[in-house]
Amino acid sequence: MNSRSWFRLKENAPKFSMLAYMVLFFIFLLGPILIVVAISFTETEYVAFPPKGFSLRWYERFFEYDAFVDSFIVSVELAIATAVLGVGLGVPAALAVTRGHVPYANTIMTFLLSPLSMPLIVMGFALLFYLSALGFGVSFLSLLIAHTVISLPYVVRTVAGVYRGISPDFEESAAVLGANRLQIFWNITLPMIKPGIFAGMLFAMLISIDNLPISFFFGSADTNTLPVVMLSYLEHQFDPSIAAASCIQLIVAVIGLFIVERIYGLDAMTPAS
Amino acid sequence: MILKRSGVTTVSAGVVSPWWIAFTGLFLVVFFVLPIVNNLLNTTELATLAKQRPISFYYHKLFTDPYYIRIVFDTVALSVGVTVICIIIGYPVAMFLVRHSGKWSGFIIFLLIAPLLTSIIMRTFGWRVLFARRGLVNDFLIWADILDKPFMFLNSASSAVVGLVHVLVPFMVLSIASVLRSIDLQLEESARILGASRVKTFLKVTFPLSLDGIGTGFIIVFLLANGSFVTLLLLGGGDLKTLPLLIYQQFTISRDFQFAAAMSNVLLAIAVGCLYLQLRLIRRRGVKGS
Repeated sequence: MNSRSWFRLKENAPKFSMLAYMVLFFIFLLGPILIVVAISFTETEYVAFPPKGFSLRWYERFFEYDAFVDSFIVSVELAIATAVLGVGLGVPAALAVTRGHVPYANTIMTFLLSPLSMPLIVMGFALLFYLSALGFGVSFLSLLIAHTVISLPYVVRTVAGVYRGISPDFEESAAVLGANRLQIFWNITLPMIKPGIFAGMLFAMLISIDNLPISFFFGSADTNTLPVVMLSYLEHQFDPSIAAASCIQLIVAVIGLFIVERIYGLDAMTPAS
Repeated sequence: MILKRSGVTTVSAGVVSPWWIAFTGLFLVVFFVLPIVNNLLNTTELATLAKQRPISFYYHKLFTDPYYIRIVFDTVALSVGVTVICIIIGYPVAMFLVRHSGKWSGFIIFLLIAPLLTSIIMRTFGWRVLFARRGLVNDFLIWADILDKPFMFLNSASSAVVGLVHVLVPFMVLSIASVLRSIDLQLEESARILGASRVKTFLKVTFPLSLDGIGTGFIIVFLLANGSFVTLLLLGGGDLKTLPLLIYQQFTISRDFQFAAAMSNVLLAIAVGCLYLQLRLIRRRGVKGS
């Protein structure tokens, strides 16, 4: 846009108002998040915005407070375990539904995705009593099962999305040339659906690491996840350590995203969903 | 393997076995379907601490006591309200993203998705700071002479609604944008050539064609709003009571599990009702993939 066209305001009014709207929208969307990042570096004893000074004391506080650190470790372990189990269960299902000639494939796909539509708090409540009755009780394994149920749809959807876009010719050629099912899967299918698998793993990790409505039902000294500890902390006190904890959680998510982006690119991650 | 003309389909059927679904299906039946059925049938002994009462007592309470009728109503009303606000705020953003963003579209999508990386607690915390009695929002409104004394945004329904819209609006934008992108621009051009004004073209051509995306977004946002309690707990402060919030409180404070089970089944019924609508919507429009 050259400087002359700025004078033709009347003509460009719709364009300008739309741009202004977009700017306002993203201030609304990102403002509250950036504020928390800023607050986490404050020097003050209380939550101050704009923050005063610059210090890492609240990050130090995070690492000195055992409840935060222990739950953070639980959260990261749980996210990784959920991603691995989610892929182990989700990939075969996605392949079978997409190209396995399963009867009622559409209905089964709907079923595989249906945990997405359940209110999480209901799932958490129902699973707690069900798993307790089965003898799993409040344990890491229970948490893992619950998180896997809710993140499975994401893995299935991303993997099926990528797999659908790959021509069956490659696999068929391999079959014609005499490769067996395992060889085809390992040498042909797996390398081609890898972007979908990594994206699915990332989604599973993000879903797991941020989950609160399910995790809080399974809270105990050994199984509290970071969001559960943060929630109970927030219910009683309001200080910048929650801002620091939020940022640490965000950094973990960004690192995950960065690794996936580095290996496979973000474009590959958003298949025609 | 012998290559035959008719053998091609057999070969492709042989690459991926339909049995690969079996274990996953079993997992979901055991750990997803059965727990919910178990909760519906109320087979597990829940009435441990609280006085023993059959679950029917609580259903009766939920649907006859005006206080609880109000809560069921508020739960649905809040979800619908938040969803409608998301449509109104999100539609222009989706429109801009698809039609006017050009080379910036990747960046805009990144900005939309980035908040999804942050935890719900982080965003709630941000709003609590903004909405504080001496926070930026009040400071601004007083500076702009809209208010003469700070308004207590926190612990009110209004801040809970803002918090929910903030969390859910990206889902709406992305659903609408994906459908807007598929609209054939020639349809709009034809309408314009035939003499329709910009506004009329939008109302008669673009908007009806984008209803599919609004429908998808509506269901996603409605379901997510329907089940959320963290925002209501930390921003609403109990001013606005909904079923998820009550389930949380029954579980953590009152420990009346039987009541919580009854409420979660009602919440589930609302979600399943919404899902049923979604299925009908998909059927009506024919199979279009996921």
